[in-house]
Amino acid sequence: MADEFAKGFTILISAGLAWMTLAGWYNTPSFEGTQLLAPNPTSGLTVYTQVGLVVKEAMLWFAILGFLTFVVVIPIARKLRDAYAGTPEIPE
Amino acid sequence: MSDTDNDSEVAADGTGIVAPDDETPTWRERKERTEGLSRLTYEYFERARREDQDLRIESDYVERDVLAFPTWPHEMVRNLALTSFFVGMILFLASALPPHIGAPANSTQTPAVILPDWYLYWSFGLLKLGPLNPELSLLGGTKLVSDRAYGVVANIIVVGFISIVPFLNKGAARRPVEQPFWAALGAGGVVFAATISTLAVKNLVPMDTHLLFDLAFLLPIVTACLSYAVLKSMREGYMFELNRRYYRLRPPK
Repeated sequence: MADEFAKGFTILISAGLAWMTLAGWYNTPSFEGTQLLAPNPTSGLTVYTQVGLVVKEAMLWFAILGFLTFVVVIPIARKLRDAYAGTPEIPE
Repeated sequence: MSDTDNDSEVAADGTGIVAPDDETPTWRERKERTEGLSRLTYEYFERARREDQDLRIESDYVERDVLAFPTWPHEMVRNLALTSFFVGMILFLASALPPHIGAPANSTQTPAVILPDWYLYWSFGLLKLGPLNPELSLLGGTKLVSDRAYGVVANIIVVGFISIVPFLNKGAARRPVEQPFWAALGAGGVVFAATISTLAVKNLVPMDTHLLFDLAFLLPIVTACLSYAVLKSMREGYMFELNRRYYRLRPPK
């Protein structure tokens, strides 16, 4: 269980760092204004900007879904499997 | 190798590592802990002991009777890994997200918002306790001390209490569940630090000021009471003596 948590947590902080960096580049018009959550730039898009915006979105969902997969879905699946197999919670 | 090297059967009742004695709970005592949170606490520590035992049995690490791990390589590898991580993080953030450097300060103009650095907000908030300063009817409804002096005294009292705490409790507990009262006091103190810091910037908080003032003192008390209730009920399922003995460092032979 601890291993699964570490995997999910690694995904969360790594993808979260990538999202934060890209959002800092493309969604932070000024230091004083909205940070990280400003709307995407619409004019003057280079190829790099377009790729960056797609990667940013992918990283956000990777962080959320990856974390939930390893911390919630997989442990629940194992619990269910053990429950159906009749394995006791604490070995007797 | 562990003591259970010869036994193929894994003893799950904790007796594989800790020798059974009067303090070791019987199987019947364990079965009796069937209620909610105390049962959950009990299961958690049972599982932790069990996982620890399985790891010891699977491991080929030669267990020696030492009081600590050697500095090299154990401690140094860990320290270098941590140091590399933080140095790398600093380099990455400094290059990828360089900090904003504002205009130079204008010494001829008073700034619109005067605030200390964020980590001093709690002290700034303690200066704003005017509504708590009692108006004494003996003195004809006037206040004994000015609101400013009252705030300074509040700082002295809070700092004084924090510096007394280490003398009241020496920190023998290894986890909050062992001493629910002190853990609850700590939780309340952490929340109070947050709420009093929020009170310091009350004109920036989108909330009714009087409500914010009341919450600043009620939320810590509510948090402390909730923490105490939860930890106290967990405590019933926590095998204090067993866990304390189990996790204690083994003395050298």
